Amino acid sequence: MSFSSRTKIWTVALLAATVMTSVGACGGGDKADSGKVELRFSYWGSDSRQKLTEQVIKKFEEKNPTINVEGDFSDFNNYYEKLATKVAANDAPDVMSIEIRGLGEYAGRGALADLAGKVVTTDLDQQALAAGNIDSKQYAIPSGVNAFSMLVNKATIEKAKQKVPDDKSWTWDDWINLAKQISASGGGITGAEYNYNPAWLQIFAAQRGEKLYDGKKLGVSPDTLKAWWGIHQQLIQTKGSPDAAKSSELIAGGVEQSPLGTNTGATGMWWSNQLGGLTKASGQELTLLRMPKVKEATTSGMFLQPSMFYTVAAKSEHPAEAAKFIDFMVNDPDAASILLSDRGLPTNAKVLAAVKDKLPAVDQKTLAFIDEVRSELSPIAAPPKGALQVDDILKRITEEVVFAKTTPDAAAQKFLTEANAAIAG
Amino acid sequence: MSDSIAVTPAPRRAHAKPPGARRAKPVNAHKRREARTAYLFLAPWFLGLLVITVGPILASLYLSFTDFNMLETAKWIGLDNYAKMFTEDTRFLTSLKVTTIYVVVSVPLQLAFALGLALALDRGLRGLSFYRSIYYLPSLLGGSVAIAILWRKLFGSDGLVNALLDVFGIQGAGWVSDPNTALGTLILLHVWTFGAPMVIFLAGLRQIPQSYYEAAQVDGAGKLRQFRSITLPLLTPIIFFNLVLEVIKSFQSFTQSFIVSSGTGGPVDSTLFYTLYLYLKGFKSYDMGYAAAMAWVLLLIIAGLTGVNFLASKYWVFYGDTK
Repeated sequence: MSFSSRTKIWTVALLAATVMTSVGACGGGDKADSGKVELRFSYWGSDSRQKLTEQVIKKFEEKNPTINVEGDFSDFNNYYEKLATKVAANDAPDVMSIEIRGLGEYAGRGALADLAGKVVTTDLDQQALAAGNIDSKQYAIPSGVNAFSMLVNKATIEKAKQKVPDDKSWTWDDWINLAKQISASGGGITGAEYNYNPAWLQIFAAQRGEKLYDGKKLGVSPDTLKAWWGIHQQLIQTKGSPDAAKSSELIAGGVEQSPLGTNTGATGMWWSNQLGGLTKASGQELTLLRMPKVKEATTSGMFLQPSMFYTVAAKSEHPAEAAKFIDFMVNDPDAASILLSDRGLPTNAKVLAAVKDKLPAVDQKTLAFIDEVRSELSPIAAPPKGALQVDDILKRITEEVVFAKTTPDAAAQKFLTEANAAIAG
Repeated sequence: MSDSIAVTPAPRRAHAKPPGARRAKPVNAHKRREARTAYLFLAPWFLGLLVITVGPILASLYLSFTDFNMLETAKWIGLDNYAKMFTEDTRFLTSLKVTTIYVVVSVPLQLAFALGLALALDRGLRGLSFYRSIYYLPSLLGGSVAIAILWRKLFGSDGLVNALLDVFGIQGAGWVSDPNTALGTLILLHVWTFGAPMVIFLAGLRQIPQSYYEAAQVDGAGKLRQFRSITLPLLTPIIFFNLVLEVIKSFQSFTQSFIVSSGTGGPVDSTLFYTLYLYLKGFKSYDMGYAAAMAWVLLLIIAGLTGVNFLASKYWVFYGDTK
């Protein structure tokens, strides 16, 4: 009897153990041990990006039969949450996509490996590349570039009996006036849409001779902030843009619900890679213009923004293979001919020349625009860690101003205090 | 698989008990063995409890005393997180204020609404169970993402509510995007989920003996008097139960404000619920230590409120048997 009951206990224990291990196996993802190097590549985006990425991964695996790449995909809204959790759990993907504001966070906290000499970068745009260089370590390789610019619907402007502005000389006042006239012409068309995008503030500050970030603190002055909010306030007052409540709804709605996207607006500031989405959503022909300027500004303040970066986790077990994958993504025409401009316009001159004709019409337009303004562009540096929080703070305090919950003076102080604390934190 | 476990031991036991063999064995030992077997079967669940619940709770207590950004190892900073909350962090106080307003306004409104409908439904309506289900539905859906999105659409500046107001010539605002009205829409959403307390009220109403009302009627008491002197006092334990439950639940509301404000607590922090701010601190500011400390403060707040509720209940809750 004692024998049998002991057996019983062992049976149960074994069963329990079996259940546990099989649960564990499910969690870990069943992988056949094929002797291949397993890489994980995390990225965010739309379904179409996922499809393209799966294709490009397949191509890479064809060329490198000893490496298996597993895509780790999520939408942008919770991308960083998932990524931070994985890094905290010592389970960081080998290759991680990070955009410029997250870069400071991850590089500054020792989560990234130095890629200098591991990825060929000679043909890449050196300015964009420099943005991935922090504390003289090349932590990140840009996937492509965008420019923050003014998008206008020429047909709508002309229908309101207004002239399409000369973007080489136009000022912020010109824009506000134009918006006011277009809105006043009726037809439910709004002349302009504003936003809280720090890229806009950065350009505006540069035109006034200031930097948004100056090293590890904010470089923008209270006066510049107040002038910037002044544009928002004037747009609301003159009805050049929708009111504050409507605007904050529109901003949350993104490309598809924006006035330009729904063909109910004439002008708005967007990243150049959003031209495609806006064109598709509105069914209209949209034009890229230079940003308006501060009177007597000596620079356009515009810059090429790396749309995203490829990085390798500091703790990756296969840094060489990870670097190889990144090299393929940015330097191989085969990769570019699949991805095209999905991750920004490629900055590799040779790759670009090879795929230029395959690019859709809107991308050709963007490319022409970027080429045209290239000589006027300012260099770009990665913002310090905490930049993601600064974006949220800017949004919140700008809302306080446009809803008249506070004075611009108080808001400027509050923004600088909170933003500097976020960077220092 | 569980079948085989349950079935096999039985015949074995029969085999293992040949007549006369070790029959003297004390019953205790047998019981102990059975207990051991039971614990062994329970082991997976216990392990789950330890790993998935108790472990993280203790870890969060530890983390609440540290500076932890998830990318680097946690640094012990003692009570700094707690001190910061009440001295420096104005957004923390804002979130407390917003949540308190939300709870104080929406819970009584919701309970009053639930009680009113329960009274209406208690009149022996035909198809009662149908109405009960219909009214209960929002309680199941109210905390969901889909309803929060629906709310955003309903109360948006081009939403249904404004279209309706437009019929009467009223120019509506962007209810969810205006800092003055955004919290109001969330309170309305909470009131709308009156179904769960309503069902409990209904059950409570059924417990009140009909003879009390008959006696009161004979004494000439009107409807209002009957409600005040019979229904309400006898229902106080139910009201108390609902109150405690709803206060706890609404203090922890998250989804509504997360979705309606697109995860920001905006406009201008007007819908910054406590839990939303906790989430923003942890996952947007990478300040996990602070977020953990906030979670513990929330626990204390809720425990405190529930305690106060219980203490106060002595003065107004009437249990029939404690006369």
